[in-house]
Amino acid sequence: MIRFILLQNRQGKTRLAKYYIPLEESELHKVEYEVHRLVVNRDPKFTNFVEFRTHKVIYRRYAGLFFSLCVDITDNELAYLESIHLFVEILDHFFTNVCELDLVFNFHKVYLILDEFILAGELQETSKKAIIERMGELEKLD
Amino acid sequence: MGSQGGFGQSKEFLDLIKSIGESRSKAEEDRIVLREVETLKVRLNDPNTPKYKLKEYIIRLLYVEMLGHDASFGYIHAVKMTHDENLLLKRTGYLAVTLFLNEDHDLIILIVNTIQKDLKSDNFLVVCAALNAVCRLINEETIPAVLPQVVDLLGHQKEAVRKKAVMALHRFSQKAPGSVSHLVSNFRKKLCDNDPGVMGAALCPLFDLINADADKYKDLVVSFVNILKQVAERRLPKSYDYHQMPAPFIQIKLLKILSLLGTGDKKASEQMYTIVGDIMRKCDSTSNIGNAILYESICCVSSLHPNPKLLEAAADAIAKFLKSDSHNLKYLGIDALTRLIKINPEIAEQHQLAVIDCLEDPDDTLKRKTFDLLYKMTNSSNVEVIVDRMIEYMISINDSHYKTEIASRCVELAEQFAPNNQWFIQTMNKVFEHAADLVNAKVAHNLMKLIAEGFGEDDDTADSQLRSSAVESYLRIMGEPKLPSAFLQVICWVLGEYGIADGKYSASYIIGKLCDVAEAHPDDDTVKAYAVTGIMKIYSFEIASGKPVDLLPECQSLIEEMLASHSTDLQQRAYELQSIFTLDAQAAKKIMPMDSTCDDIEIDKNLSFLDVYVQQAIENGAQPYIPESERLGISSVSDFRSHDEHEPSTHALRFEAYELPKPSLPHNIPPVLASSTELVPVEPSYVIDILHPTSAPSASDAGSSELKLRLDGVQKKWGRPTYSSPAPSSSSTDLVKVQNETPRPDSTGSSKPKTRDTSYDSRKQQNEIPPEKQKLAASLFGGSSKSEGRHPPSQKNTKTQTHTSDKSRSSKASAPDTAVKPSQPPPDLLDLGEPSIASSVPSVDPFKQFEGLFDFTQETTPPASTGGVDGASKDSDFTSLFADMSLSAQSHIDPNPESNGLGGSKVEPSSPQLNKGPNLKEALEKDALVRQVGVTPSGQNPNLFKDLLG
Repeated sequence: MIRFILLQNRQGKTRLAKYYIPLEESELHKVEYEVHRLVVNRDPKFTNFVEFRTHKVIYRRYAGLFFSLCVDITDNELAYLESIHLFVEILDHFFTNVCELDLVFNFHKVYLILDEFILAGELQETSKKAIIERMGELEKLD
Repeated sequence: MGSQGGFGQSKEFLDLIKSIGESRSKAEEDRIVLREVETLKVRLNDPNTPKYKLKEYIIRLLYVEMLGHDASFGYIHAVKMTHDENLLLKRTGYLAVTLFLNEDHDLIILIVNTIQKDLKSDNFLVVCAALNAVCRLINEETIPAVLPQVVDLLGHQKEAVRKKAVMALHRFSQKAPGSVSHLVSNFRKKLCDNDPGVMGAALCPLFDLINADADKYKDLVVSFVNILKQVAERRLPKSYDYHQMPAPFIQIKLLKILSLLGTGDKKASEQMYTIVGDIMRKCDSTSNIGNAILYESICCVSSLHPNPKLLEAAADAIAKFLKSDSHNLKYLGIDALTRLIKINPEIAEQHQLAVIDCLEDPDDTLKRKTFDLLYKMTNSSNVEVIVDRMIEYMISINDSHYKTEIASRCVELAEQFAPNNQWFIQTMNKVFEHAADLVNAKVAHNLMKLIAEGFGEDDDTADSQLRSSAVESYLRIMGEPKLPSAFLQVICWVLGEYGIADGKYSASYIIGKLCDVAEAHPDDDTVKAYAVTGIMKIYSFEIASGKPVDLLPECQSLIEEMLASHSTDLQQRAYELQSIFTLDAQAAKKIMPMDSTCDDIEIDKNLSFLDVYVQQAIENGAQPYIPESERLGISSVSDFRSHDEHEPSTHALRFEAYELPKPSLPHNIPPVLASSTELVPVEPSYVIDILHPTSAPSASDAGSSELKLRLDGVQKKWGRPTYSSPAPSSSSTDLVKVQNETPRPDSTGSSKPKTRDTSYDSRKQQNEIPPEKQKLAASLFGGSSKSEGRHPPSQKNTKTQTHTSDKSRSSKASAPDTAVKPSQPPPDLLDLGEPSIASSVPSVDPFKQFEGLFDFTQETTPPASTGGVDGASKDSDFTSLFADMSLSAQSHIDPNPESNGLGGSKVEPSSPQLNKGPNLKEALEKDALVRQVGVTPSGQNPNLFKDLLG
């Protein structure tokens, strides 16, 4: 199960944070700080998996942004690594050549996309087409 | 679609983001945010604010909170927004509440009603928004309020709604398994849903249910196999393909389910062999996702009833993983190997050099995974090498969490496989020296016990040799500064018991040493208590042997100090020590018999010698004693240990009330004062109990103690000696559990396969391997053939086995507990980071950062080469998987599809626009738009405009 997903830039500024388990406010910031520290200076040749407390963080860097997923120890690391990539592909499709700035200005939309992709800590939909279509329906409202 | 039309926010919002992006310091940023908070407060509270504006304010509020500031003043406005009729506002309201609120927030009660209404809405978008909120905000108490509607929605005509309804029920079953137990048939039905997305979603709850009890779902094996077959045959819509693999995420979930169903079930396994074999054959091992499926297949094969053909295929796949250059694949290879050696221990042998490479890798994640493997393949012939390596690593790390784990593994392996006692004691000394306070206290007792009991009954010389060497090593070690308290306790005990046993050291020498220990640790009452008792033993041995005894001056001053101690325990020990001197030899011998720690003492637990007295009292009209359990009307009570065992194994919330713990009897019986004739473990626990009254319970609820006092199960300090009963299911205990959820260590780590094989043979397979590596490999993998000739840890081991029968159990059970313990106070920030992380982020050269965009373009790549064309590097470089291009059908993807998969696609830094392909124009427009709104990339983050997938 996914515990949380974080998007942070190199400076550690949170661009998106979604938690699928309840955490105290103070704990949230600590988690974000710790995850950033864990991933930001890791050698790119190293694995994309880091132990984090009793779970593990699967992260992947795109340009200046780090996408980090915290999952259970028993989960399939590579599959979650690819799910990050799938998410980025969806974002890229939605925003057309997505860049960090898109995510900054439209973070609320990113949350909506995420809600179509992951729900209750599990991948609920893995078809890019289905998600894009759903977002199209939501966009029509604007 | 998307944001081509602009960002859709007001100038004000864009300015806010811009100014925050450009702020030079945290203080400046805080000022900006605080100003924004003030603005929002005024505007949100202004009744005249138009609704469409409100929506943006709520989004700005989200932004403020994401920056780490408190936005709680606006939560109520977000809640109000969910009530709005306008779908856009409602959706924004739901989005905001799911991000702002936790399921136990007070405002939830105001939303439940709206959710109920919205779940019945005709507009499926409203229903979806409400379902998203249900997944996040509905707690155990509110489940019944929405459950009927959510179940109805399983039959909704829109697949998006059905899917979300399945996920909501999945959430419910996690939170309160009882609440949906009658709905299992619905999940089964959803497997046959027309929409693959709904089917995929239904796998999540089914996985959990099968994980809990596989036997009930054996009939589904055929269905799962069929679905998997259809997926593998590409019968699902093309849109589920990802990097040319058909619905890989669904495949992986199905493989996970199959491995649960096939575990230990030959018949079920046989139904799966064909499809699993097919999948392994079809996997595209050049893409990440293909390897993810391959890895999951190996996991599945390793838990099914063994099938030679599949095992062979799995071994081949593992070999490929391990030979890969990618750390990710190596990591998976090591993990898969760990699973497979349970079935076929020989398989590790051919990979010995790869394993050793991983062990020496600077990447901690990989290294630790390799230690997991070594831990599982330890046997009596390689234990020395492996444990030495582990200790070496243990010393080098700072992460107390992992240190604890690896220390307890060392202890476990040493206890199980130690070739001789000498080695065992040395190993334990090393572990204790560096991590004594992290390992279970039980381990210290086991060590003392081993020293006391020695090899066995018939080998006294070996025993005394062992003790002498222990004493000698301790006398050497004890001079070192900063020894952990638990280790000092062991040292004091051993010195007291055996310091003068072999006559090598004089009593006054040992006593002097013990006094030094007590003096050097003025704040550690436990150590002092051990030291005084040690001194007491030595004096009484001396008195018993009839030698003239004189009180050393430093000992005298120690006694005086302790007589005035705040600790009553220390006082009492000091008084006892004083009175020892007044005894004659005969009495001293009785009180402290030499070397009698292993003697059994008969304890009359029923206190039958008091029967007469009780009888008299009753005859005189006293009330007869009613046992506590009867008084409170409890039928069955589990003791503390059962808590220890099952608690860490569940990650999920536990909703049922805690059982009333039985007052643990052994703790309450005041043992006969620290005489050496006691059972060994009692004496230390006596000390610990007295000095740290909280330490015993903290093993079972260490996680919660930091948050609030939990008084259930704790004897009341004042008043009647009853136990306060736990609240039935107060939300506060829920909160506590929830807190525990994350930091809970996983219990799977401590499960241990007992399958060992002893038939490796050491073959040197490759040349040009450094000799030391070969040696290490041989000792790790090839040593077993010698093991016949070697003195097996025969007697001692069986002995340890018998007396560890309970210790190993408890050490296993409590390993996760100790793992939690040090993390209170909450995990040290510094612990989790690698020590080498320097805080150099701000000082990074912006150009360097810019290069970073292109993800690890290696310096060897000539700057002018158009990376993507280089097909030769196709399979050699997994490291660029960060940069690998999407294979999606997007217009701007790399023109060389063949170089995409595994990242031959080195992106050319100096001409990023090449990659924009046909979308160059759009990108330019976007940049122009950005400039128009006045946002410029700040010096801090020049990446803002960079295509993430570029």
